[in-house]
Amino acid sequence: MRKKTIFRGSIAVSTAAILAAGVLGTPARAADPVTITIWTFGDVIQRQLVQEYKNLHPEITLQIKKSDLDPLNGTNMVTACTSKTGPDVVAVEVQYSGYWRSYPKCFTDLRKMKTSEANVVAGIPAGKTALDFKKNYLPWRWEQGVGYDDSVIGFPTDVGGLEVAYRVDLFKKAGLPTDRDKVGKLWPTWEKFIATGVKYNAKRSAADKKAGKGFIDNAGTIYAAIMNQGTEKYYKNDGTDAGKLIYDTNPQVKKAWDTTIKATELGIGTRIGQYTSDWNIGMNKGTFATILAPAWMMDYIKQQAPDTSGKWDIAALPGGGGNQGGTQLTVPSYAKNPQEAYDFITWYLAPEQQLKVFKTYGLFPAASVLYNDAALLDYKDPFFNNAPVGKIYSEGVSKVKPIFEGKLQRAIDQAIGAGLGRVAAKKMTPAKSWAQVLVDIKKVISN
Amino acid sequence: MSHSKEREGRRKAPLSPWKSTTPKKATKTNKPIEGVASLDHRFGIPFIAPFFLIFLIFGLAPVIYSIYISFYKWDPLGGSTFNGVQNFVTLWGDSDFWLAMRNTFSIWALSTFPQMAMAIGLAVILRSKRLRGASFWRTIFLVPNITSVIAITIVFGQLFGRDFGIINGILGLFGVDNIDFIEGVIPSHIQIAVMITWRWIGYNTLIFLAAMLAIPDELYESASVDGATKWQQFIYVTLPQLKNTITFVLVVGTIGGLQVFAEPQQLAADGGSSKQFLTLTLFLYNQAFVNNKYGYAAAIGIAITVIVLIISVINFLITRRISNDGGGR
Repeated sequence: MRKKTIFRGSIAVSTAAILAAGVLGTPARAADPVTITIWTFGDVIQRQLVQEYKNLHPEITLQIKKSDLDPLNGTNMVTACTSKTGPDVVAVEVQYSGYWRSYPKCFTDLRKMKTSEANVVAGIPAGKTALDFKKNYLPWRWEQGVGYDDSVIGFPTDVGGLEVAYRVDLFKKAGLPTDRDKVGKLWPTWEKFIATGVKYNAKRSAADKKAGKGFIDNAGTIYAAIMNQGTEKYYKNDGTDAGKLIYDTNPQVKKAWDTTIKATELGIGTRIGQYTSDWNIGMNKGTFATILAPAWMMDYIKQQAPDTSGKWDIAALPGGGGNQGGTQLTVPSYAKNPQEAYDFITWYLAPEQQLKVFKTYGLFPAASVLYNDAALLDYKDPFFNNAPVGKIYSEGVSKVKPIFEGKLQRAIDQAIGAGLGRVAAKKMTPAKSWAQVLVDIKKVISN
Repeated sequence: MSHSKEREGRRKAPLSPWKSTTPKKATKTNKPIEGVASLDHRFGIPFIAPFFLIFLIFGLAPVIYSIYISFYKWDPLGGSTFNGVQNFVTLWGDSDFWLAMRNTFSIWALSTFPQMAMAIGLAVILRSKRLRGASFWRTIFLVPNITSVIAITIVFGQLFGRDFGIINGILGLFGVDNIDFIEGVIPSHIQIAVMITWRWIGYNTLIFLAAMLAIPDELYESASVDGATKWQQFIYVTLPQLKNTITFVLVVGTIGGLQVFAEPQQLAADGGSSKQFLTLTLFLYNQAFVNNKYGYAAAIGIAITVIVLIISVINFLITRRISNDGGGR
């Protein structure tokens, strides 16, 4: 009888153990070695620098989990903040900055953090709050990491300075100038850019036309470029945290939409979607002669089309100055090791490290103190025909004005992107598609 | 009959090791049935408890919770307010919902019926006594089923690429213009249906094969004595015997078809520029996890449940009719 109860007990225990193992995972270890978990996407966290930090702090393990941007900054972060469990550091992309700035409760206020002694050897002084580091960064990029209650929720990593990447060989073939300054002068405005596209397309052979070759990879990308050249998008900063929705009245939206529609209807684009297999192949085959390229895209082009090395060059963006993307590293309020996380961020995003990242991966630094640095200004990229990419991009991002992003910016962008897609696919007239866009946006913003 | 067989087997089966270690040998030898029964009684519940516990936590609780939140404006970060039946009213009037319904059933039809015909055909080939390496083929047919949906979508996305995809390349040889397998409504449905078909056809083939192997050879023998050709044998012997299996495959396929999610989501997370391949589950997912409208998404979930229930009832009625018919033969 006793044995029986033991059996029953052991079954109960093992059942509990099975359940517990599923819930608890591995047992907690001694506190000494610290693991910083980082949720990120793309190339925000660079392997080389991670190794460097490991050498600096052998006791710290950086556990990096990469996801796609939308699930990362959407579902995963919402779930983490709701359940109050999650990583020590999260990368938040600019498109989601408006959303997360309205939830400062999900983040540690970095004004209240102080750097420890840990990184003094690496040139990061101890006892500094976020406000002490503010002067190192581009002011409008810094603002994108400030919560609507003025708490500092993140440090900027890079600026997605936007310029035009073009194929020198294809421009030459089409009888266009190839020198980057002259190319930039071809298109002071977007109208001129479209006109150049029409001219380029007119020179295509019949075979090229049949193969679907064109001037720009996707005319739809013009929309975001123009939107980012303005001062307002879908929200007006009226002093309230939420801002006022102006997507249907803002002339900048109309200008960006109309210009993109015009480019689409004139057929200067190949209609290949970015980041598709067709795009990667087209990049190699010279299917398109231009890409609106944020700084971080240079590395992607290098990886996808290594054989086109030296055939590319970079020219200024029409309309002067552009930006697309950029990321903030944040420390969530539910971080288990906020001090170690803050120390890591202040080191990882220090100007010195940002310069290294730019040189190896082309992510353009948000640390504006570097913009006068000869190391940045003199940097030339052989893949892009020795273009002084440091100089070109720093001139571009200095012209960008801060934009109030607003909470649902990403969702509204997607509705409009779908609208442009419908016109490009000739499924709807521009007017009808715009009407549909308004309906879709209403659905998103209504609760 | 099957019941009594089961009991017989039980009696003959060796006793559980739990029992053999107990000191009360007398009960073990004298009253074996009672012993087993008492074992069932004492250990049965703990043994099945893990399933029910997990089901309660991960199955029933979320269902009840989502019914609850479907009556709310539910924002996990921003707080929630009671909304009555407003979510359901909005859903009824939401054109996206009806669009998603159309897409879901279109993809379901395109993936289910051609697949079923092909699966039966393949099963006939696998059953053929002249086929060499039968077990090799039977095994390899399951490989697509265990392949990751993401991997399938990436590969098929390249096959179906508009400009450089191999399918358009082949069609081009016959003078067909490039088809846009993303923007076109029916082409995009075909692309998704092909992925589903590729993934599930092996599984269904094996089910049909199992059913065919259970058909007594006498039926074929007497059919051939009567002078039936192979084709006539297939039509008049094989197919009628497969009726129940066909219904089963149809039911399972329908439930799966209503949950098509990963394939369209991988093609374009928003379901396409004019939501041409937005399916019901993708619609639900986007409302919850992209637009943060959890209450509305819960309402969609309930709507999907109702649709599945309706279809299940229809299936049940049809199955009953068929099995009644089948009983006479």
